[in-house]
Amino acid sequence: MIEHGPLLERLLAGEFVCPISDESGYRHLTNEETREEIDTYLRPLNRRLASNEDGSVYFLAWRQLNDNARDQLSRQLGDTLNSLLPLLEWLQLVQEALGRDTLAAPGDVLKPAEFSAKCEDNQSLRERLERLATDSFFGSQSEQLDAQVKQVFKRLKEHGYLLQPHAERQVFVVTGKIDYLVDLVRFIRDEENLPIEEGSEEGSGSQEALL
Amino acid sequence: MSSNGEHALESRLLKTGSERLALLGKHADVLMQAYTRDEVPLESLSDSALRKLLAARILWRPDEQSGVKLAPKVRELIAEMLADETRRHVNADVAETLELIRALVHSYREARSRGEHWRLEQQLMRLRQEVDDLNGRFADAIDSLWQRLNSDFGFVSQLNDKIRENDRAQKQIARLLDGLALIDFDELIELVGSDGSLRKLLISQLQQQLSNHYTGLREVQRRLIELMARFRKQQARSRLISGMAAFMREHPGFVPGNYARRSEVPGLVNQAASLSAAAAPALDRNLDSRLLAELLHQLPQPRHTTQTVEAAAPAQAQESSLAAARQQALKQDVEHFYLSVIDQPQAEPVSALEYLRDSPLEWPDEIWLFQVISEYQGLPRSDQKAFRLKQQESQASQFNHLRLIHDVELQLAV
Repeated sequence: MIEHGPLLERLLAGEFVCPISDESGYRHLTNEETREEIDTYLRPLNRRLASNEDGSVYFLAWRQLNDNARDQLSRQLGDTLNSLLPLLEWLQLVQEALGRDTLAAPGDVLKPAEFSAKCEDNQSLRERLERLATDSFFGSQSEQLDAQVKQVFKRLKEHGYLLQPHAERQVFVVTGKIDYLVDLVRFIRDEENLPIEEGSEEGSGSQEALL
Repeated sequence: MSSNGEHALESRLLKTGSERLALLGKHADVLMQAYTRDEVPLESLSDSALRKLLAARILWRPDEQSGVKLAPKVRELIAEMLADETRRHVNADVAETLELIRALVHSYREARSRGEHWRLEQQLMRLRQEVDDLNGRFADAIDSLWQRLNSDFGFVSQLNDKIRENDRAQKQIARLLDGLALIDFDELIELVGSDGSLRKLLISQLQQQLSNHYTGLREVQRRLIELMARFRKQQARSRLISGMAAFMREHPGFVPGNYARRSEVPGLVNQAASLSAAAAPALDRNLDSRLLAELLHQLPQPRHTTQTVEAAAPAQAQESSLAAARQQALKQDVEHFYLSVIDQPQAEPVSALEYLRDSPLEWPDEIWLFQVISEYQGLPRSDQKAFRLKQQESQASQFNHLRLIHDVELQLAV
């Protein structure tokens, strides 16, 4: 158990462990025996190891859902929902600004400078970034583009969606928590029966037209 | 005689073939332009050059009205040479090759029964070429498919195009596999009979090669399907996110159910609160105390010269709160002095310094006087009228108007 100390600490601190955020920790967690050991250790803390459906991220869940846990979860859910739209809009903005046709995925490298440059050249991207950065979730007070971008990346790093491998270098890597976010969005869509298409080719034309 | 004729034919073929191949080199620029565009740019070709290229079937004219174009085979050749995956074709036409092989085998047997050795050799060579060709086509196709796969269909940028290309590649594989299925080794065994060289070429060798192709194709197919699944997943994610964002923008008041209150809380939203594993230095273990002492010694000496304002702040706050307490005490003592003035039976003036000396108070004279004066000045104007403050003062020197206050007398105004 001793060797899993740092991993346990990260998990207890509420971090999401994925191959990007902690490669060796994640590798240990893919071992069922290790997972059971950790679960046993967490039992008195009323926590257990959980993962998303694909098993691409691990995090801690409540073992017993008592009233306190439910209160905490409700608050957390509220926070998540408040930050959901800004996060989704950021994902879209990155995709468009960098001219990609896929969503930022775990392991993707993002450079704030590149992002700023793209937004600088394009008035509509610039405006969208401005709106996003001043949203209460990102909370930028600045009118400077670079400062806004910096703040957005900083907040995403604080929330565990991005990782900055070198503190002095402005290069970020997308973590597996993005997978969790996408799973959560899919879950909400399914639970609330929202009219949002996802899969088939047929739907794509009409949906693109709508968007 | 016939052998001579054959030789003549062969040398003529060689000559024409080389001449026409040379045309490819000679007009390489124009041909490459034609490859990248739809039509051949005629302005850079002379009439005779054009005639030669048409005669060699390097170029062709689909009909009178349309322009001159690159022949499909030449286009294919260039695509092959460049490994240009957008245009590389997969020719899976096995049926025709099989027809040709059958005809050649029959012709070979005839030649053998007639003892025509030269023709026998020719037919065997052509058979070898056909088999090589067939192999080559499969090998090329598999190579092309791997290239596309390994580059993640990098030659097209849009995900939708990648999905279409992947789909096309999968169809090609299906055709190639269909082609392989056409080759019936039972039939070939019957066809070659007991001839050793044919048996080697068409049975053992071909079977080995085709089985490799089959394995190769299955592997590419499996990987293509995997890749397609990944493409589709990416596409789905992208659509899901834009769909949800659009929905939330349109419905700003949208609030999903509180999943945390359900009897069965969905796994995805069950995320425990964070705990920090904090620790502080403890001295209850000998070994640790020694270590802590060492650590303490290793701490850098505090350098007072560079003490920052922030670091000094708490000490200052303490001092100022002490001063505030003293100030408060002084103010209270002065207030008592005022009360004693009010209590004077005949409203007699009271000297502030005399009061201080008579009392057990230990305030310095100067501070005491200062506070008495400022208390008077701090009173509301109406209350000020109730007192009369008289200052005993003298001029400090005759050269300026600085006046020194020696004492003040306070008296109730009557």
